[in-house]
Amino acid sequence: MEHLLETIGRNLFAIFGVMALGSAAFMVASRSAVHSVLGFLFTMLCIAGCFLSLEAEFIGMAQILVYAGGIVVLFLFVVMLVEMSKAKEKEVFQLQSRYAIVAVLTVAAAFVGLFRKVIFGSASPDALVLRPELARGLNVAQQNAQAVSRGLFADYLLPFEILSVVLLVALVGAVVLAKKERV
Amino acid sequence: MVSLNLVLLVSFLLFSIGIIGVLIRRNALVILMCVELMLNAANLNFIAFARHSGSVSGQAFALLVMGFAAAEVAVGLALVVALYRKRDTVQVDDINLLKG
Repeated sequence: MEHLLETIGRNLFAIFGVMALGSAAFMVASRSAVHSVLGFLFTMLCIAGCFLSLEAEFIGMAQILVYAGGIVVLFLFVVMLVEMSKAKEKEVFQLQSRYAIVAVLTVAAAFVGLFRKVIFGSASPDALVLRPELARGLNVAQQNAQAVSRGLFADYLLPFEILSVVLLVALVGAVVLAKKERV
Repeated sequence: MVSLNLVLLVSFLLFSIGIIGVLIRRNALVILMCVELMLNAANLNFIAFARHSGSVSGQAFALLVMGFAAAEVAVGLALVVALYRKRDTVQVDDINLLKG
């Protein structure tokens, strides 16, 4: 039992990654938009698990709050506004979907061929260590959120402020776009 | 221990699924969701490299990307609602005003 738990703990990222891939495929393939939104929700939760297993705790929690809490609800509202009165879509996929899949698979194969050594070769010379800054004995921030806040508000303050302006513009733009009568 | 290659492979596959979804689906909502999926694949790369290099800049940038994704989804969904009001459809191949 302990052995099993240890194995699961060591492969947490792979488990969450496979689940994210599966639910993303479900999201693309499912017929009804509501099922797609549910697949999207599960994908986002799995990606949050990936972030947590990569020791980005703050980003993982923000992912759950922003995506599962905000964006999925927004999507569901729009599905409710838009889709309910409509019958099921006749054709789910585009006419050219066969060519599109072939093109993407070709590009993917070319990519894997190019980066064969990087992806499937022996792992990178120094495997990722848990908390490299602690391993090196440096005295940096003790908490992930502390470190992220220092990076965000000290090193990248200007992009952060630009983001706030962009969010404001997007807010006003969304209100203007979705309004009934044009001004 | 997670090897960087595994993270890169997962994020590459997520990005591919997102591209396939954008190319083959007709529903504008699902296309928006696939765009979000591609942004999340990019975020996964940011986090993986942040951890690989032991610096926190990648995580800060992932947070910024998340904010931009939220802005994008707000505008995109407003566009979808406006489109539905005007053309009564969200299927992108019914919207062919530019076809000439």
